[in-house]
Formats: sequence, structure tokens, C-alpha cells
Amino acid sequence: MADHIRVAVTGIGSISSLGHNVGEIWAALEAGRTGIAPLTQVPLEQINIKIGAEVKNYDETKRFDDRELLVYDRYTQFALLAAREAMADAGIDFKKDEALGLETAVIVASGVGGWSTIDQAFYSLHKLGKPRAHPLTIPRMMISAAASQISMKFGLKGPAFCVSSACSSSNHALGEAYWMIRTGRARAALAGGSEAEISLTSQRSWESLRVMASDTCRPFSKDRKGMVIGEGAGILVLERLDDARKRGAKIYCEIAGYGLSADAGDIVMPDADGAARAMRQALQTSGLAPGDIDYINAHGTGTQLNDATEVKAIKAVFGEAAKRLMVTSTKSMHGHALGAASALEAVATAKAIEQSVVPPTANYVAPDPDCDLDHVPNTARRAKIRAAFSNSLAFGGLNAVLAFKAV
Amino acid sequence: MTEEEIREKIFDIIAKEARIDRGTLTLESKLEDLKIESLDMVQILFGIEDAFDVYVPQDDQSFKLATLKDVVDGVKRLVAAKQQSA
Repeated sequence: MADHIRVAVTGIGSISSLGHNVGEIWAALEAGRTGIAPLTQVPLEQINIKIGAEVKNYDETKRFDDRELLVYDRYTQFALLAAREAMADAGIDFKKDEALGLETAVIVASGVGGWSTIDQAFYSLHKLGKPRAHPLTIPRMMISAAASQISMKFGLKGPAFCVSSACSSSNHALGEAYWMIRTGRARAALAGGSEAEISLTSQRSWESLRVMASDTCRPFSKDRKGMVIGEGAGILVLERLDDARKRGAKIYCEIAGYGLSADAGDIVMPDADGAARAMRQALQTSGLAPGDIDYINAHGTGTQLNDATEVKAIKAVFGEAAKRLMVTSTKSMHGHALGAASALEAVATAKAIEQSVVPPTANYVAPDPDCDLDHVPNTARRAKIRAAFSNSLAFGGLNAVLAFKAV
Repeated sequence: MTEEEIREKIFDIIAKEARIDRGTLTLESKLEDLKIESLDMVQILFGIEDAFDVYVPQDDQSFKLATLKDVVDGVKRLVAAKQQSA
């Protein structure tokens, strides 16, 4: 018996380069199909790295009315669509259960918030010399806009805020939501993250960091060249396990632990010790032993350094047990959605546990001696997952690891 | 720009941004009665500034807007001031 409140995942929603809902996305993950393609939101002649994992066939006017589109940046739109799907999946109507709504948290992460809104404002003022900014620039661009809009749309009146920690943002959001429920601070939560920063300014800035692949994203593989930028959102409904059982809800899995650390090292270079400390804490808070974990949805960005460092950290934590771990990076398929990345990966991990299928590492060419774990190359594998980690090891050394457990 | 053109343009902007039936607007309509939401009001001011290429002062106490006639008169003054300084 746990000596604390246990937390269940009862609803999931997502939109990414792999599809507009979890069904489409999971079908792609299971098939090892990548969403990486030539970019459409940026003129290709103005950029060097011409690929990305964009949300495809997306027509905002079919999803929202004119008034909504005035205040919803693309990143807020993605968050709302994922939240709507997760709510419907969980089958809770918070507007009918006002008491629960008062105790439900909304924690929605983002790396940069309404980037396209900021970009447009800068362009029109700096470049076009327009005399005034659009009056809704601030409400659209603020990084907490998605958290606000979700709480407003669904009548959720508990703690609501945004967390931002670069590529770990969504794991921090999910982890904080989990911890709030675990400690009795909130009864339920909508948590996850959203990102939509693909633009000329963003793409050129990433290019300058020299961490982007020009061909595709092939994590843990020989000849990997780097990361590929993605976009999208993932939102999970979390609630007390007891509540979920009482109402007969479908339960994907439990979030059982949460580990946090900072490298205190370099603003871009990862550190195996920081990552290892976060994983150890996830074991400790979940009460799981290394041998209990069957799958790790890795941070796995596809850069030479990240993947080798992450493997080193996993080996340090798991020892002998690392040999029987399956360690894959779904970024090979949905790209690196930055502040939303770990939310997309939490959705993938919840589905993997539910379906007993490990999504593969796609685009894998050949083994790299520095990444010699079982990376499930290219083809999904049927396997019972008793417990799983989802790792996030952000730029700036901000690490967050979630432990998921089958119920 | 004639007074009528200014009035028509302003009524267009208010009807669109605040989603009010254009036919119900008169010069005597009180802004308070129209129950214009805060974000709609900033959209209206933005629309007016954009349409007439003027700056609607934020802290000018003489610029009191109670009725639509006040709005039209205010914009007329701004447009006239702009033409004078041009």
C-alpha cells in the first residue's frame, strides 16, 4: 500500500505531426512512421535546414470561430484541441461537477508560448514600420495563455499556471500536477504542454546552434546528425486512482514517481550525472526498483552528445538491469516539439502501457557503440510494460523524469 | 472625410467588433448600454485608429466617451487636428 494518494491517467489528447488525435498518432507510432517532412510554414529558400515535424492539413478556421482565433495563438489552439480530446476521453464534465472543478489544476507548459504572435508584432513594427501593434498581441503571446484559455473553456478553477523549462517543460508540468494530487493539493488536473514556434526566426536561430539534422532524426543510431524541430500539444487528465476506480473510468496507467534535478553545468551540453540523479529520484519516489522498469521513452533528441550521454546515465542508474530495458525515442517520429515534447511522449508512453506495444526508434540505420542498449530499431515490439520512464533532459541542464506504472 | 462618412465608418467598426446589430446603433446610443466587453473595446479603438490613422489618447480627460456621438465628435477632432498639422 502506498502511503500517499495514488494518481491515475484517465484521459489523453494530442495533436502533432503524426495526426490530429491520439488514434491517428498512435497508429503512426505503432507503424514506425515519421511525421518529418519539408517545412511549409517557412519559405524554404530562406532556410538551410528545410525539414520539420509540422502539424499537417491543419485549418484553424475549421476548428475555431473568428472570435476565438483573434485570441488564440497557434500554440493555444493546439493546447485546447488536445485538452478537449483528453476531457472527452476521461468522460468528466467539470461544468456539471462544480466542486471537482474547484479542485482541478491546469498546468500547461510551453517553451516559448505564442511565438508566431510575437514574431508578427515584431515584423509589423520593426520591419513594416506600422504605427501600432494589434491590441490582442499580449493576451495571445503570453506563455500562460494556454493555461488560462483551458481553465476558462472547461470551468477549471483550481491552481492554474504555466511552467517553462525548455525541452523538459511538459514533464515539469505533468510532474507538478502529479505531485499536487499525490499530496492532496488538487483533486484532479489537466496537464501537459503545447508548442508552435516553427517560423523563420526560430528556424534560423536553431540552425545557428548547429544541433539540427538536415536529413532526418535518427536517435541512438550511427550517423545521427541531430534533432528535428516539431510542434504540437499533449494534455493528460490526472485524478486520484481511487476516484477513477469509483467512477469506473478507463485507466491508462498510474503516474507513480517524479524525479528532478539540475546539471548546474552548461547551457547546452548535457551531463550524465544530472540525468542519473533525476532517474534515481524517480525510482525512489515511485518505490520501483531498476528491475521493475521495462521501457524508457528517452529524451533521445538525435544529437551525438545527448544520446550518448543519456545512455551513459541510464547505465549508471540501472546497472545490469539496463541490458533488458527497451529504450526508444519517439522524437524520431513526432520530432522535437520542445516545450511540448514530454507531453507527446507521455501520451506515447501511456498508450504503450495500455496496448503492450513499445513504439520503435524510427529512421535507425546501424548501431553506435556509444548507444548500445536495446533501442527497438524501426519496428514496434509487442511487450508487456509493467513500468516505464519518460525522460526529459533539457538545454540548460533542467532534468525531469516521470515514472509510469501499469495498474 | 465628411461627418457622415466618419459616423458610418465608426458604426461599422463597433457593429463588427462588438457583434451588435448595425441597425440598432444611433448617435444617442450609450456605450454603457451597449455592454461592450473590454477586449472588444480595445479592438474598436484599434479599428478606429487604423481606419482614420489617428491616435486615440488614453489619458486625455477632455476625451470623454459616453455616447456614440461623443465617439464621432472625438474622432472628428482627431482627424481635423491631423489635417491641420499635415
